[in-house]
Amino acid sequence: MTETQNTAPVVNQRTSEFGEPIIEISHLQKSFGENHVLTDFNLTIRRGENVVVLGKSGCGKSVLIKCIVGLLKYDAGTLKVFGKEIKDLKHKELDHMRARIGFVFQSSALYDSMTVRENLEFPLRRQKHNKTKQEVKKLIEEMLDNVGLLYAINLMPSELSGGMRKRIGLARSLVLEPELMLYDEPTTGLDPITAKEISRLMLEMQRKYNTSSIIISHDMDCAKLTANRLVVMIDGVNYAQGTFEELNHINDPKVHAFFENQQI
Amino acid sequence: MKGKKEQTNQRATPKEPFWLSFLPAGVQDFLVETGDTTRFAGRFFQEAFLPPYEFKEIVRQSYEIGYKSLSLVGTTAFIIGVVLTLQSRPTLVRFGAEAWLPAMVSVSIIREIGPVLVALICAGKIGSGIGAELGSMKVTEQIDAMEVSGTNPFKYIVVTRIISTTLMIPLLAIMGDGIALYGSFLAVKTKGAVSATLFFHQVFQNLDFSDVLPAIIKTFFFGFVIGLIGCYKGYNSKNGTEGVGQSANSAVVVASLLVFVLDLIAVQITAFFGYI
Repeated sequence: MTETQNTAPVVNQRTSEFGEPIIEISHLQKSFGENHVLTDFNLTIRRGENVVVLGKSGCGKSVLIKCIVGLLKYDAGTLKVFGKEIKDLKHKELDHMRARIGFVFQSSALYDSMTVRENLEFPLRRQKHNKTKQEVKKLIEEMLDNVGLLYAINLMPSELSGGMRKRIGLARSLVLEPELMLYDEPTTGLDPITAKEISRLMLEMQRKYNTSSIIISHDMDCAKLTANRLVVMIDGVNYAQGTFEELNHINDPKVHAFFENQQI
Repeated sequence: MKGKKEQTNQRATPKEPFWLSFLPAGVQDFLVETGDTTRFAGRFFQEAFLPPYEFKEIVRQSYEIGYKSLSLVGTTAFIIGVVLTLQSRPTLVRFGAEAWLPAMVSVSIIREIGPVLVALICAGKIGSGIGAELGSMKVTEQIDAMEVSGTNPFKYIVVTRIISTTLMIPLLAIMGDGIALYGSFLAVKTKGAVSATLFFHQVFQNLDFSDVLPAIIKTFFFGFVIGLIGCYKGYNSKNGTEGVGQSANSAVVVASLLVFVLDLIAVQITAFFGYI
């Protein structure tokens, strides 16, 4: 399987240790006017795999995951999630698919007018499930307990710190028990200690709920801790991919630039 | 299609016609904005009548929009009632027509001042609030978060707010009219002995069905426009946090202007049917 169509130094495409493909992206293109963000992006994510997508700010990493979840429409190429082409899905089918995906936004995107409890209840109210009120209450408490913020259940988002908001955002995205997690720069704007705590939490949740994930980041500590595989996105293509150690030691200045601080 | 505006929660904008480029930039912007607002209104009507219906959110918004505006609307209406009476009285006294004061004040308030005043206050308070809230939700990705959780954000956020403003502003206007008339009564009472029974008897004796009904009907349109413009400006907010302020500001300006335009149209229509 060749996933890149350019001269990228593809180091590793180790996939056999994971399950079946749940995301298959082929020749994906997306432009905003004259700004060609994704030019020929190819990627396959398998069940149980954690993939970190690295890239400079504005290179299209967030656009990629927004295309995956159907928030943005791509111009060309194919994008299959759980075996279904995203652009062929009708609105209800898309909603059904979204219930299987958790999305952690860069800004946490907590609903300002709702308490923490209501923020977690909201996705459960919108999606069909067979849970009783007691089960919903228990699930919300379990999720908040997972992220160590059960005591904040009745607080408003404005009363939370940046790290707490990220944790609640993570708990909210896990409440529907998704199979796939998409993280948009989960550690950006946090101090190094809190960032590490969030990275550990992500890994812990991935193990506990057996999710696959795509993590958009330029935090190398987060990448080192969470990634089974790293993908370096440059000029709208997956320029290189491999494990952290493999990419750290390849002789390519573009890839090397991401790892410079790690080697000091 | 402009930039990242093409998210799926915002429908695709049709291609602009070729002749648009021959017009001055200001006219172009006005036409494009008018077209986008009309399309936004069209989407409201399309989604408002289709299930699922967000009754709980409509009630919550009605509380936020209606109940929380009571004190502001009430205070302003009371002051206007008092001031209008005190300002008009000397002139009427000069012509020996003081007895006509309740009739003049009531017709002024019920037909024109009450509905327009309440609409302008609500354009400032509610329109800007909706514009800023939705703009902020857009900037902080809350609208996207709603969409990925399987909720139609247009229906949940926009439709509910427009329905609430359309229903609440007539109620606020009716309440404002009542309070303004009471303010007028108190102002009259400070200048001479008049009973409430006599004052309100004169008020209602001189009011006609044609004074009340068109005035109430136009407040539904005022409410619709205030909600529509607030939601449109907020939902299409751009340029980060700076855009939130711009959305709130332009929501007030455009909604206030449209209130006057609608009032002008309402006057023409009532005149056409012989109610003036």
